[in-house]
Amino acid sequence: MNKMMARLVLLTQLCCLLAATPALAAVGCDLNNPERDVARLFPESTGYKTVYLSFARQGGAPLLKKVENLLGPQYLALYAPIDVPYTLYEVYRDKKKVGYVHGVNQKGQFGGIQVFMSLDLTGRIKSFYLQKITGRAASKFREAGFSRKFEGLTLKDFDSYDPVRGKGTGRIAQIPNPAPELETDFYGILRGLKKNLVLMEEFVYAPERGKP
Amino acid sequence: MITPFQIAYKNLLRKKVRSLLTLVGIMLSTWVLVSLFGFNRGYEAALNRDIDNMGYQLMVMAKGCPYEAATMMLQGGKGLRYMEQSMVNDILKEPGVAEVTPILMQAFFDPNKGESGGIAGFYGVDPASYPAMKPFLRFRKGGWFHDSAAAEVVMGYEAAELEQREVGDLTMVPEKNVPLKVVGILERTGSQDDGTIFVPLKTLQRISQTDQITTIGIKVKKDADMEKLENRLYQLKDVQVVSFSQVKQTVMKLISTARVMVFSIAIVALLIAMVGVVNTVLMSVLERRQEIGILKTMGAMPGDIFRLVWTETLILCTLGGVAGIGFALLFARVTDMLARRVLPYAPSGGLVAIDLRISLLALSIIVAVGLLSGLYPAWKAGSIRPLESIRGE
Repeated sequence: MNKMMARLVLLTQLCCLLAATPALAAVGCDLNNPERDVARLFPESTGYKTVYLSFARQGGAPLLKKVENLLGPQYLALYAPIDVPYTLYEVYRDKKKVGYVHGVNQKGQFGGIQVFMSLDLTGRIKSFYLQKITGRAASKFREAGFSRKFEGLTLKDFDSYDPVRGKGTGRIAQIPNPAPELETDFYGILRGLKKNLVLMEEFVYAPERGKP
Repeated sequence: MITPFQIAYKNLLRKKVRSLLTLVGIMLSTWVLVSLFGFNRGYEAALNRDIDNMGYQLMVMAKGCPYEAATMMLQGGKGLRYMEQSMVNDILKEPGVAEVTPILMQAFFDPNKGESGGIAGFYGVDPASYPAMKPFLRFRKGGWFHDSAAAEVVMGYEAAELEQREVGDLTMVPEKNVPLKVVGILERTGSQDDGTIFVPLKTLQRISQTDQITTIGIKVKKDADMEKLENRLYQLKDVQVVSFSQVKQTVMKLISTARVMVFSIAIVALLIAMVGVVNTVLMSVLERRQEIGILKTMGAMPGDIFRLVWTETLILCTLGGVAGIGFALLFARVTDMLARRVLPYAPSGGLVAIDLRISLLALSIIVAVGLLSGLYPAWKAGSIRPLESIRGE
């Protein structure tokens, strides 16, 4: 019996060790705790449905090319083959769909930035959330005041602003960088935002508009 | 001329639904059997692979460390237990030890991860001994550290993917705010290495302000007596030993209970399928009594009738068996996924390994058991008396 117990302890050890060596096994960009996060990003919601989208399934290589042209190929994503799944949370109030939550990975100065936003059914940003960002002053990007500046933006706002060059006019150009020492991250966030909106347009809104 | 095989095949087609349902029964039991054989083989192979990928067969850690890893995840490394690095030299003196590598596991709290912060783990390894223990690790880009105290990291594939890092980029140790340069990104291994960020041991010790370590990995000599070595290592002060072969035995023991359960289900499924075979063939014999009687009056011997009916069983079992193997191959990944959900511990990589040998073995079992089930209906058909059967109709 003792021998068996000892072996069970050893098993626990192995399992813990295998599980605990940095738990970073993630592909795509998912909410850490969808139950809690969707409710927070969409306070009026009562439920959500998870949908997986990919270039391979939605429009193949031509769509990938189109999105790369819109964003700049190097900014679409690192480690993102054509079949990488993008997680979309369809948000419901009772049985009625009221919006979406979608996130993307974006390269930052010291690590990956996970940019999430909630959108209404027309593609307007309702709320903005950085699930992960690394750096000394990174917390400044997660402050409520900075997040609020993105509310109400749509993909149209990027017509007059280029987040790759960091130049342009309009609402986005007026958003100040709260952490000037992390300039790469600031533009990374803006690129992530545009990527999010472009993917939503191509994966969700454009096909919906095309419905009879 | 029409062959007995063609007659048997046509007979089965006369009652399509009944034959199809019997086929489905045989197919399902073959599916279960092949998947089970595949799991039996695949699980052990995956477990061996995981253990081999550790690069060492024994691990020595400070006493109380079973909870180290879980603590590391929950409390950010505050409850970690350490041991002196000099322990490495003590262990090296043991006769059965081939190589050792000191390891320091550290976790730092990152306030900008998730809604209320999260843990970032780093794995401090000795550049002189660790890579030699894992020669199978391949680099996607870059290589190991340039020196033993360099401010550098090597990232597993998934860690690099999550952190969106390339060789030459910087990464940051949260809490300590120390930047480190990415010098290598590993190819995907399918093991826990994929999610690991490796740092030179001395660098991680410097960042964590400690000169201690958490673990020592031990590669044992081929001819060493593992049990004796373990017992000797237990004599070292305040350490405990984890033997992966022992862990493997324990895991296999736990899994064996589940295996017995599934084997029982497979046997029940097999029995049900065979009752189906007996029922189908017997019904078909009883419905054809007159026909069989006429065949006999035309000169057919009991052996001919027996063979004819038995051939029907053979066709049913072979077709059902082949379909079952096809389904098992087709849904191997689904079986793998389901097994992972219910098992207490599932190693990385494929858990269900189906090959030609396993498929042929399952098919032989199904056909053999099927033919046994077909004996009675075939004998019944062979012993029908021609005049009685014709008069009876």
